[in-house]
Amino acid sequence: MSYILNRILSMLLTLFLISAITFAVTNILPGDVAMMIMGTQSNPEALAGLRESLGLNDPLLVQYGRWIGGMLTGDWGTSLVFKEPIAPLLLQKMTASGLIVLFSMSIALICAVPLGVWAAVHPNRWQDTASSSAALLGVSLPDFFWGIMMILLFARGLHWLPSSGFVDPGEDLLLAFRHALLPSLALGLGLMAHLTRMTRATMTGILNQEFIRVARAKGLGERTVVWRYGLANAVGPVMTVAGLQVGYLFGSIIVIESLFNYTGMGWLTYQALLNRDIPLIQASVFVIAAVVMLANLIVDLLYVLVDPRIRLS
Amino acid sequence: MKRRDFLKSTSALMGGTILYATGIPAMAQAEPVSGGTLIWGHSETTQNLDMHQTGTASTGRVLQNVHDSIVTVDKDLNVIPNLAESFEISADGLVYTFKLRPGVVFHNGQKMTSADVKFSFERCKDPATGAVNFEVFNSVASIDTPDDLTVVITLGQVNAPFLSRLAENGAGVIMPTGTGDVQGTTPIGCGPFKFVRREFGNEVELARFDDYWGGPAYLDKIIAREITEPTVRLTGLRTGELHMINDIPADRIAEIEGDDKFQVVSWFPLNWDFVNFNHDFEPFKNPKVREAFDYMIDKEALLEGALWGQGAVTASPSYPTSASYNHDLKQRPQDFEKAKALLAEAGYGEGELSVVFKATTNYPYHIEAAQIMLEWFRMAGVDATIEQLTWSDWLSQCWVDKDFQITMMNFFTLWEPDFLYYSLWNTEGAFNYRKISNAKVDELTAKARVTVDPQARADIYKQVQTVVHDETLDVILWFRNGTIGAQTGVMGLDTIVHPNGSNLNFHKVWLQS
Repeated sequence: MSYILNRILSMLLTLFLISAITFAVTNILPGDVAMMIMGTQSNPEALAGLRESLGLNDPLLVQYGRWIGGMLTGDWGTSLVFKEPIAPLLLQKMTASGLIVLFSMSIALICAVPLGVWAAVHPNRWQDTASSSAALLGVSLPDFFWGIMMILLFARGLHWLPSSGFVDPGEDLLLAFRHALLPSLALGLGLMAHLTRMTRATMTGILNQEFIRVARAKGLGERTVVWRYGLANAVGPVMTVAGLQVGYLFGSIIVIESLFNYTGMGWLTYQALLNRDIPLIQASVFVIAAVVMLANLIVDLLYVLVDPRIRLS
Repeated sequence: MKRRDFLKSTSALMGGTILYATGIPAMAQAEPVSGGTLIWGHSETTQNLDMHQTGTASTGRVLQNVHDSIVTVDKDLNVIPNLAESFEISADGLVYTFKLRPGVVFHNGQKMTSADVKFSFERCKDPATGAVNFEVFNSVASIDTPDDLTVVITLGQVNAPFLSRLAENGAGVIMPTGTGDVQGTTPIGCGPFKFVRREFGNEVELARFDDYWGGPAYLDKIIAREITEPTVRLTGLRTGELHMINDIPADRIAEIEGDDKFQVVSWFPLNWDFVNFNHDFEPFKNPKVREAFDYMIDKEALLEGALWGQGAVTASPSYPTSASYNHDLKQRPQDFEKAKALLAEAGYGEGELSVVFKATTNYPYHIEAAQIMLEWFRMAGVDATIEQLTWSDWLSQCWVDKDFQITMMNFFTLWEPDFLYYSLWNTEGAFNYRKISNAKVDELTAKARVTVDPQARADIYKQVQTVVHDETLDVILWFRNGTIGAQTGVMGLDTIVHPNGSNLNFHKVWLQS
């Protein structure tokens, strides 16, 4: 319990540091949100008025204090460019991205673990070559390539699935699923390839260890040896990599989001940055960082469940 | 569009109206039917939905269907009645009397009265609102409402463009009294469609307003999906997920035109483009150097190269149908010998002048145009390089800090001549980011502001264009076409483009069942 508390405390400290750094860096960038709002319709007088009304003329520390104060009291403010309240906006975009991260991770894990094990059990045979080649293909080709292929095949060719857009799961679950499927597949393929290679490598190492030989010598069935003895030991490293990938996914999701016009967190953060919308940048970075840290914490806690040798301290 | 096609069609050209349309079956004969939801792939993301506070063309394009302005313009950009059924200007040009249309209802059920007009104009004028067009009301001394349907606006001094500026929603929109706080998220107006919801960055939903004063629209609903990637938009059109898209990438127009499942509607101008010199940069202080650069640019070839010919070259930025368009001006042809001679006269021999061209990636065709021009500059013995800037960097470096040597920009919806010429070319102009200071232009643009007679005013603006051209204050390039691609079942698209060339109005658009 104290371990979890410690972890949460250090997470909070990291988040605070991240928010301070983000704030400092975004304020160094040239230009400001008033200029972005008015664009080529702006004149110096109107720009000055808008800056004043947005509070951009206040000292930076005051602006930052205002933001932190708001965050702590649950008031995440309003996007300066889009005039949308930030908290519900983040919730909506987090749901969108979370959905495809979750789907793609599930797709990847469901396929990668059996494939990796299959390859490891048949080292240097056709199964291994097939699985490794597929994984190599998956790793080598960027996810947007898979995205384009899927749009061409499933949306334009077969008309099975929509080519773009996001639907809120609260509105229509089935439709939300249909919209999330192609982006998830596109993201999941690369991820799957990565995890397959990881599983294969870990399993190959484990299957050559003495305790496996002992298990076999004791006359245990091959299935028990591979799945109960082998995989149980391989799960840890695979989980670690999968956990790290969650952070990677939230970071790299923007390409897939653009391709499918699936406007989630990546898109929102990019818009916020482009428009110098500081409250929105702050909140987006904060939430993404929190999710990544949380995912890592959960992976650490899961270790205890899958590997009884590990004790948290 | 080729030059000869342009010349052939100029007699029939209308500002912001249909230039040509392909694949439209029996458009004129069909009888409109009501019903259906139109799904539109919109090229841009809407921002703050408050019509006073938003400066982006994207938001104005959607809100055109939600709001109405007190007056509007016809296709030739003459001011005509709208929410005001008539207006009168006193002989001294100081008193504007508007008679409001009776029976206009807002989406919240409120009846429109003179109090709403007063509220809207005072809200726009109030610096605390942060309205983009607040300066339109700078000269207003008082707004009186003698009765429910009469508004009398008295100006402190003559401001000839005042009425025209009220023809765009930015300044002329009428909102119901007391709705200022909600306009940013749930705009309320009296246009043909009610705002229903926005899923930010994803879609905007509008629903027909049955009590619209101009008669109910045909469509039940419009869903404007915000799809900024042009290829994603095109795919959506091809898969049938979208009924229509605006802004077809120039290089893909031919492909859509060639497919009989689709129709393409094209009009011009959507906007116009020009090349800018920083008049504070030593070499460009000399008009000969600016003229030399003009001679390096083959405008026709540039239009083909950067925009696949989707536009028409022009020496004047006035909308082609407006009274102030100066038809006598001709663009300078490409002539490297002349350019080199002019540079030599100004004291710059071959290789002695080097310039940096800042272009923004926000308009990808600007980058392509800049790359082509760069070659021409080099051929004329100028050492030139390109700096590609994001939109925010362009705005902060070129627009606000005026830190550039040569750049390129475009403008949308600047059809009102004072807004256009005073803002861009007067020394004090709000959009004078090139640090231009020309006594003749200053005198003319100030004079036009207090000239009430429309013909006299138009003549003054023609003179302004002559000065801009003769002294090469900027190089005006072209008007760019606007395009819409749609399924053939979308009807009434000939009515969709607002005379300003940028806004889309769905009031008369309908879906074939």
